[in-house]
Amino acid sequence: MASLAFTLNGKAIQLDVDPSTPLLWVIRDELAMTGTKFGCGMGLCGACTVHLNGAPIRSCSFPVQAAAGQQITTIEGLIGDSGALHPVQEAWLSLNVPQCGYCQSGQIMSAVALLESNPTPSDEDIDTAMAGNICRCGTYPKIRAAIHAAAQVVQQFDPRQSVQESQS
Amino acid sequence: MSVSRRGFIKGGAAVAGSLCVGVQLSGCAPVPLPHASGRDLQPNAFIQLSPEGVFTLQLHKAEMGQGTYTGMATLVAEELNMPPEMLNIEQAHFHPEFIDPDFYVMLTGGSSSIRTSYEPLRKAAASLAYLLRSAAAQQLGRDLAEVALRDGKLYHGETVIEPGSVIEAARGLSLPEDVPLKPAVDHRFIGRHNARLDARGKVTGEAMFGLDVQYPGALSAVLVRCPHFGGTLKSFDASAAEASAGVVQVLEVDGAVAVLAGNYWQARQAAGKLTVEWHKGPLAGVSSKGLRAQRHELARSEAGKLVEELGEASAATGERIEAFYDVPYMAHATMEPMNALAVVDDRGVQIWSGMQGLQLVLDAVARATGFSQSQITLHNQFLGGGFGRRIQTDYVVEAARIAQLSGKPVRLVWSREDDTRHDFYRPNATALMAATVDGDRVSSLQIKAVAPSIFGQFMPVMTRTLLPKWLPSIVHDGIGNMMADSDPSAVEGLIHTPYQFPYKRSNYVMQEVTAPLGYWRSVGHSQNAFFIESFIDELAQRTGQNPLDFRLANMDKASRHYQVLTKVAELADWGNAPAGQHQGIAVHESFGSVVAQVVNASVSAGEVRVHKVVCVVDCGQVINPDIVVMQMQSGINFGLTAALKGEITLEDGAVQQSNFHDYQMLRINEAPEILVHLLPSSNPPSGVGEPGTPPVAPALANAIFAATGRRLRELPLRLA
Repeated sequence: MASLAFTLNGKAIQLDVDPSTPLLWVIRDELAMTGTKFGCGMGLCGACTVHLNGAPIRSCSFPVQAAAGQQITTIEGLIGDSGALHPVQEAWLSLNVPQCGYCQSGQIMSAVALLESNPTPSDEDIDTAMAGNICRCGTYPKIRAAIHAAAQVVQQFDPRQSVQESQS
Repeated sequence: MSVSRRGFIKGGAAVAGSLCVGVQLSGCAPVPLPHASGRDLQPNAFIQLSPEGVFTLQLHKAEMGQGTYTGMATLVAEELNMPPEMLNIEQAHFHPEFIDPDFYVMLTGGSSSIRTSYEPLRKAAASLAYLLRSAAAQQLGRDLAEVALRDGKLYHGETVIEPGSVIEAARGLSLPEDVPLKPAVDHRFIGRHNARLDARGKVTGEAMFGLDVQYPGALSAVLVRCPHFGGTLKSFDASAAEASAGVVQVLEVDGAVAVLAGNYWQARQAAGKLTVEWHKGPLAGVSSKGLRAQRHELARSEAGKLVEELGEASAATGERIEAFYDVPYMAHATMEPMNALAVVDDRGVQIWSGMQGLQLVLDAVARATGFSQSQITLHNQFLGGGFGRRIQTDYVVEAARIAQLSGKPVRLVWSREDDTRHDFYRPNATALMAATVDGDRVSSLQIKAVAPSIFGQFMPVMTRTLLPKWLPSIVHDGIGNMMADSDPSAVEGLIHTPYQFPYKRSNYVMQEVTAPLGYWRSVGHSQNAFFIESFIDELAQRTGQNPLDFRLANMDKASRHYQVLTKVAELADWGNAPAGQHQGIAVHESFGSVVAQVVNASVSAGEVRVHKVVCVVDCGQVINPDIVVMQMQSGINFGLTAALKGEITLEDGAVQQSNFHDYQMLRINEAPEILVHLLPSSNPPSGVGEPGTPPVAPALANAIFAATGRRLRELPLRLA
C-alpha cells in the first residue's frame, strides 16, 4: 500500500492503495465512480478510456501509480459546472448514438480527445483515433456521424475564433 | 342474487384467503404488484399513477440496446396521450402479467418484445386513461366523451383536472370488456417518435448496468471454473491466494473456487495464485476439428429427421450437385462481462444484475439456494449487451451461491477470459446443400443440416421453471432429450423459404457431443441464412443467371421477399458497383420480418473490405423509425464480425480463445457505410433486434465470389 495523490475531474484525490492497481479499479471500486467501464482488462476494447492530462488512456491497464500528480478526467468530468453536456455528449444525444450504451463512455472520451487535438477530423482520422474502442452493438455509423456533428459545434464555439471575430 | 363463475373468482379473494389457511399460506398470498404503493392507481401490472401525478411504466422487457425502454414507453405514452419523455420508467420485478405469450415465462428474447407487447401494453395504458377520464367525468357530471387526457392532465374544455386528484374516485370504477384503442390516424408517437429515452444516461455515464450497482460492504468475488466443459474440481490449494493482499475468503462453491476480496483487482490477483487440479470430464479429447469431421460423416451416414418436404421426389431430375457448408461456435461477447450482485440473509435473496430471463433466474436461484421464489427479489438493470447470453441463469446463480455460502454480500465479476470461455455458444454447424439441375432449371433443393441441439439443453431449463417443482430431474432431462432432435432452431431459415423449386426437402441430424449451447442473436438463422443464400447464389451461377434475377424468378411476385429484393436492388444500384468493388445480394426472413441486403466489397491482396451495405426491411408497423434503422445497422455489424472474424474453437473440451486479441470484433475502421430503408407496412409489428444479422454473411460471401470467382463455404470467410 502507498499513499497516492492525483487530480480527478478537477478535484484533489488522496488515497492509500496498492500502487500496481489499475486506475480503472481505483476509480470504480475505491471511488465508486461507475461511468468508466470494464470490458477486457487488456487495453483491447477501450471501454475504460479516460484522459491523462487530456490524452486518452486505457485505465484497465494503467497502474494508478503512473497517475500520481497527474490530471485524470473521466466521463463524469465532461459535464461542466453549469450541468451542461459537452458538445460531444450533445452530438451523441441528438443523433441517438447509444444502444446498450456500455462502451459509450469510452467512445465519448476517445472522441473528445480526438477533437481536442484535431477539430476537423477526416473519416480516416476518426478510424485511427477510434479503432481502439469496440462497440459490440455496432453503433459505428452513428459514432462517425456524431463526431463530424460535434466537430462543427466545437469549431463554432472555439474560444480563439470568437476572440478573433470580436477583434475584427 | 346470482353469482356468475367469473364474478365469483374475481370477487372471491377474501373467501379464498380464509379457505387456504392451514393448507399453504404463502401459496394464497395475493401477488404484490411490482413497486406498488397503496396510494397509487394501478389497474394492471404495467402502469400506475401516483397521487402526485407521476405516470410510471414497469419495464417488463430488458433493455439491452435493442430499444425496449423507448419502444415500450412509446406504446404506453400513445394511449396516455403524453410524450414518452414524461413517463417515469422502472425496471420491473417478476409478475405473472409480464409472462411472455410466446415463451410462457417472463423473458426478453426472440425479437418479440414489441410484437407481443403491442396490444397488451396499449390496452394497459388505455385502461388507466379510461378510468381517469371516467372519474373526472363523474366528478364534473359530464359525459366521458367530453373529458380528455392530454400531456399528463385531464381536460374538460378549459377546465384542468389533476389526474392524481381523481385516483380515489377512479378506484371504484369498472372497465368495459374492450377498452378502445386510439385509431392509427390519431397516433402522435407510434411510427414518429425517434429520440431514445435511455440515451442521456448512457452519454453521461449515469445509466446503471449490473456492474455499477453499489451495496454497502459488498465484496468483490471472482470464480475460478473448470476450463473443460463438464469437468469437475479435483483439489485446490488456496494458501498463496489467502495470503494475497485484500483477500477476505477463499471457498469452494459448487465445484468452482471463489475468491472474495475488498476490490476486483485484489480478488483477480489472488485467483491467479490458486493451484487447482481438475478432472477433465466428458469432453476430454474433444476438438472442434474432430466435431467438424464427425458432422461431415453424419451428413453422409444418417438420414436424420425429415423436417420439410414439398413436392414429389420424382421431380428432382437432372444432374445432382452438392456442397458442404460450415460454421464454428460463436461466443456472444457482450461488452459488459457477466456479473451479478447478491445479498443473502435468513429472510431471502436480493439480486442486482442485467437479466433477459428474469423468471428463469427466479426459478434457478430458488433451486440453488433453497429459498422460495417469494423470498427472492430480482432488481434488473440495463444490460451491457445481451444478444441471448443473458437469457441464461448461470452467472446469477453463481453470485447467489457465493453470497449464501460465504455469508457476505458479493459482487461477482467475470473477466473477459471467463466470459469468452464459459459462454453458451452458437452451435457449430454443417449443412450438406444439394440440388438437382435440369438444363437451365433447378428441379430440387435438398438440405441436410447437422448440428448439436440448443433445445436439448434449454428445454430442461424451461420445464424446470414451468412444471411442478416436485418432478424429478430425470423428467426434465428426458423432455430435453426427446425434444432435441426436433430443435426448430437447427433448421429455421432452411425451411419455409420463398424459393419454389419443384421439389424441396430438409432433414436434420443432431450431433450429440457439444460444448454448452445458447441463443445467439438470430439463433439458427445466423448459420442457415449463410448456408441457403450462398447456395442459391451457386445455383444462379450454375444456371447462368444473375443472382438477383434468379432469386426473383423462383419466388412468388406477391411475396414480401420479392418486394424487399426489388427495393434493395434499386437502392443499391444493383449491377453498377463502383470501380474495383463487387456486389453480393441476399434475402432472409426471420422473427416475422424480411430483410434484403446488398454488400459492396473489394478484395485486394487477399484482404476483404466491405465498403457499403444497403438494407431493406419489412418489419410491419414501425414504432420508432430510428431505432429500427439502428437495429439493422447493429445486426449488420454483428453479422460482419461473424462473417469476417468470429470463431470459437475447442481443444480437449476447452475453449482456446480468451479475449479480444484472439476473438476479434469488427472495429470502426472496418465498419461499412450502411443505408437502411424501411418498407412502409400496416401489418402488426414484427422483429427488428435480430433480422438484420442473417443476410449479411451470405451477401458478403456472394460479393467475394463476384470479386474473385472463389466460393467460400465456411465462416469466418478466409481467402488465405
